[in-house]
Amino acid sequence: MNYLDLSAEAFLLVPLATIIIYNICPKKLSEKYFYVFAAAVAIIQIIASVSMFYLMNVLHMREHNFIFLKVLGKSGMGSLCITYFSPVFLFCIGLVSFASVMIAMHTIDAKKTHYVNLLMTLITGMNGMILVKDLFSLYVFLEIVGLSSFVMIAMFQSKKGLEGSVKYLVMSEFASIFILTALALIFMQTGSLSYDAVGSFLLDGAASSQKMMIYFSVILLISAFAIKTGAVPFHSWLPDAHQSADTAISVLLSGIVIKIAGVYSLIVLTRLFSGIEAVHVTLATIGILSIVTGALLAAKQNHFKRIIAYSSVSQMGYILLGLSTGTTLGLIGSVAHVFSHAVFKTTLFTNAGALHEHFESLDINEMGGLQSRMPVTAFSSIIAFLSTAGIPPFTGFWSKLLIVMALWTSGNPVMAGAALTASIFTSAYFLRLQKKVFFGPLPDRLSEVKEVTGSIKFIEILLTAVTITVGVLFPMILVYLQNAGTI
Amino acid sequence: MNGFILIAGTLIPLIGSLFLPLMGRFNEKLRNIMALIFTLAALICAAGALPGVLAGEPYSIRFELPLGLSFGFYGDALAVFMALTAASVSSVIVIYSYGYIHEDNQNEYYMMICLFVGAMMGLVYSTNLIAIYIFWEISALCCWRLIGFYRTELTVQRANKAYMITVFGALIMLIGFVGIYGQTGTFELTAMKGMYIPAWAVVLILFGILSKSATYPLHSWLPDAGVAPSPVTSLLHAAVLVKIGVYAYARFFVLTFKIDEIFTAAVPVIAAISAIISAGVAFRENDIKRVVAYSTISQLAFILLGLSSGTKIGFIGGLLYILAHSVAKGGLFLCCGIVEHTVHTKDIRVMGGLAKNMPFTALAFIICAFSVMGVPPLAGFFAKHLVIDGIVETGNVALGAVFIAAAVMTVMYLTRLFVKVFLGPQTFPDVKEGSPVMVASVMILAVMSLLLGIFIYWPSQLAAIAWGGM
Repeated sequence: MNYLDLSAEAFLLVPLATIIIYNICPKKLSEKYFYVFAAAVAIIQIIASVSMFYLMNVLHMREHNFIFLKVLGKSGMGSLCITYFSPVFLFCIGLVSFASVMIAMHTIDAKKTHYVNLLMTLITGMNGMILVKDLFSLYVFLEIVGLSSFVMIAMFQSKKGLEGSVKYLVMSEFASIFILTALALIFMQTGSLSYDAVGSFLLDGAASSQKMMIYFSVILLISAFAIKTGAVPFHSWLPDAHQSADTAISVLLSGIVIKIAGVYSLIVLTRLFSGIEAVHVTLATIGILSIVTGALLAAKQNHFKRIIAYSSVSQMGYILLGLSTGTTLGLIGSVAHVFSHAVFKTTLFTNAGALHEHFESLDINEMGGLQSRMPVTAFSSIIAFLSTAGIPPFTGFWSKLLIVMALWTSGNPVMAGAALTASIFTSAYFLRLQKKVFFGPLPDRLSEVKEVTGSIKFIEILLTAVTITVGVLFPMILVYLQNAGTI
Repeated sequence: MNGFILIAGTLIPLIGSLFLPLMGRFNEKLRNIMALIFTLAALICAAGALPGVLAGEPYSIRFELPLGLSFGFYGDALAVFMALTAASVSSVIVIYSYGYIHEDNQNEYYMMICLFVGAMMGLVYSTNLIAIYIFWEISALCCWRLIGFYRTELTVQRANKAYMITVFGALIMLIGFVGIYGQTGTFELTAMKGMYIPAWAVVLILFGILSKSATYPLHSWLPDAGVAPSPVTSLLHAAVLVKIGVYAYARFFVLTFKIDEIFTAAVPVIAAISAIISAGVAFRENDIKRVVAYSTISQLAFILLGLSSGTKIGFIGGLLYILAHSVAKGGLFLCCGIVEHTVHTKDIRVMGGLAKNMPFTALAFIICAFSVMGVPPLAGFFAKHLVIDGIVETGNVALGAVFIAAAVMTVMYLTRLFVKVFLGPQTFPDVKEGSPVMVASVMILAVMSLLLGIFIYWPSQLAAIAWGGM
C-alpha cells in the first residue's frame, strides 16, 4: 500500500475508527479529554489532505482512484476517487473541525460525548461526499451530514436550538425528496448513477421525452442543492439554524457544511450536466440574487452571529457565480473562495465565541469600543471581514478576483460588474458591525471586559495568520498551479 | 539587478510597519525612530533610482505569473518623481507627529503611516493593474484607520464614509481593469502601451480616480475627514493619498492608453466645475481645516486639468503642481494642526491675532499659502502658470479663464483665513508657540516651497523626462 492510498483511506477510516475507540474508552477519560480525540482526527485530516494535494501535483495526476478497505478483500467496500480539487475541500473540513474543537473546549460543558460522536459522523459524511463516484452514494453521505447537523443544532435542547433545527430539518426533507425523485428519473434514462455514466449520457441524440425527464431532474437537483447551500430564495433556514446552535456547532455549519452539502454537490452537478446552458444561467441568477439579498439582510441584523450567517448566504453567491461559468478558471475561483470563506467565516464565528463570554445575547447594540479591551479579537475580526469584503491583499480578494475574471472571459461582463459592485454591500455591513462592536467610544460598563484566553485566542491568531499568509503568497500558489498544469 | 532598489523602497516600509506595534510595546522611542527610518528608507531608495532615470534606462524588475498577472516594478521618471515627492513630505510629517500625537493607539498610528508610505511606493512603481489596485486598497485601509484615530462616534462615522466612497470608486475601477483584461488577456501596463481602450472602461476607471482624488462629485469625504489628527489630514488628504488619483490619470491615460478625444474635452470641464465649486465653499466654511480641505479639492482640479490637457506644457505643469501642492498644502495643514493644538478649537471666528503668539507658525503658514496661491517665486507659481498655459495652448481660452477665476478665489479665501486666524485683535493672549519639533517641521516645508521655486529647473527636467513616456 503506497502513501497515496494510505492518505486517501485515512479520510474515512480515521473518523470511523475514532468513534469506536472513543466509546470504548472509560467514560471519565473520554469526558475529560474529549478534545484530544476530536482534534487528533482534524489534524490527521489536515496532514493527509495537504500531502494528497502535494503528491497529486507532483505526480501530475488529475484524479486518483482507489478502493476503500482493499485489504479486507479483493473487491473491497466500494470504489472511490479524489479529483484535483478535492484536497482543498478535505483540508477545509479538517481546518474547520479543528477550530470547532478548539471553541468547544471553551463553550461545551455537557454532552461532550455526543459532540465527539456527532462530529466524527459529520466528518465521515462530508469526506464520503467528496470521495464517492456516484450520485446515490453522494445522496447517502449527504443524509449523514444532514442528520448529524440536525442533532448537533438541537443537542442542547434550548428552545431556539430546537426551532432552528426543525426549520433546517423541514427544508432538508424537501431537498431529500427532490434528490431522490431526480435520481430515480435519471436512473430511468441512463441505467446507472455513476458520474461517468451520467456525464457521458448524450442529450443530443435523446428523444424529447427523455430530455424533458433530464431537464426536470436537473431542476430538482439544483433546487435541492441550493436549499443545502442556503442560497436565495431557499435561505430562510440558514440564519436561524446557524444562530441558534452553540458557537462550536455554528462554526461547522457555516464554515463547512453548507459548502460540502451544497456547493460541492453543485460542482458535481455542473460537471455532469455541463452541456445544459440553463444550468449555468440558473446558477448565475441564484448567485447574484444571493449576493445582494444576503448582504442587504445582513446590514439589518443586530445579532452578531446572524450578521455573519447572512454574510454566508451572500458569499455562497460568489461561489455559485464562479461555478456558473463552467470554465476551469471559474471552478478554481470557486474552490479558492470555498477555502477563503472557510477560513474567514470560521474566524468570525470564533470571534462570536469570544464575545459570547461577556455578551450572552450577542446583540451588537450592547457592545462598543471593545478594540481596546479585546485587541486580538478585534484585529482578527477586522482582517476576516476585510477578506470577506474582497479587500486585497487577503485571500478573499484573490478568490473573488479569479471568479470575476472567469465571469468576464466566459462572456458574462454584466455579471462580473454586478458581482464587484455588490461587494460594496459587504463593506457596508462590515463597517456597521465594526463601528458598533470594536470602534467608537468605550462605555463605562464595559471597562471590565477582558480578552479571551486559551484555545479561542489561539484559533483566532492561527486563522488570521492563514488569511494573511495565503493572501500575500497567493501569486505563488498560482505559479504552483500553473506548473502542475491546472491553469 | 538595479530593480531591487525599487523593491526595497516598497518592502522596507511595508513590512517594517508590521513590526512597529511590537516595538511600541517595549520601547516607544525606538518605534518612533524606526517609523522615521522606514520612511527615509523609501526616500533614499527613490533617490537611488534617479540615476537610472537620468541615464534613460529606468531600473526595473519583473516577476512571471500565470493569467496575465505578471507584475513588475519600474522606476521611470513619473514613478520616481511621485516617490520622491511622497516620501520627502511623509518624512517631515512623521517628525511632526512626534510633537502632535500623544493619545492612545500610537502603535496603530505609526504602523498605518508606514504601511501607507509603503503602499504609495508600491503603487507608483507597479506596472500591473492588479498590483496597482492592491496598493490602492491598502492605502484606503490606512486612510480608514487613520481618520478613525480618535474613537468617538463622529470620527468612526467619518472614517467609514471615506472608506465607503473610496472603496466603491476603486471597485468600479476594478470592473474597468477586468474589462481591459477581458479584451487583452493581460493586466500588464507595459504590454498595453499605446493601446486604444473603449470609452466605458475609461469612465469606470475615472470613477476610481475621481473618488480617490476627491474631485466633484465624489469629493464629499475629504472635508469630513478633517476630524482626523492634523498630521493625518496633511499626509493623506493634502500631500500624498489624494495624489494617487491624479497619478493614476497620468499613468493610465497620458502615458499608457489611447483614449477617445472626448475625454480631453470632458475631464477639464469636470475639473473646472470641481475647482470653482470647492473654491466657493471654502469662503463659506468657518472650520479652519475644512477651509484648507476645500482648497485641496480646488487645487486637485488644477492638477487634473494640467494632466488631462494633452499638452506637454500642461503635463509638466500638472506634475510640478503635484510636487508644489504636496509640500505647501502639507505645510498648511500642519500649521492648522499647531493652531488647533494650542487654542483647542477649529472655529476661525473665535481666533485672531495669533501671529503675535506664534510668529513662526504664522510665517510658515503665509509662505505655504503664497505657494498655494501661486505667488512668485514660490514653487506653486510656476506650476499654476504652466497648467493654465497648457489649457490655453489647446485653444480652450474659456476654461483658462475659469481656472484663473479659481486661482483668484484661492488668493481671496486663503487671505481671509490668514487674516482671521493670525491678524486682528488677539483673542487668545496666553497661548504659546507650538512645540519645537512641530514648528521645525512646518518651517522645513515652507523653506522647501521656497527652494523648490528657486530651483524649479531640476524638478521640471524630471517632469519633462516623464512626458517622454514609460
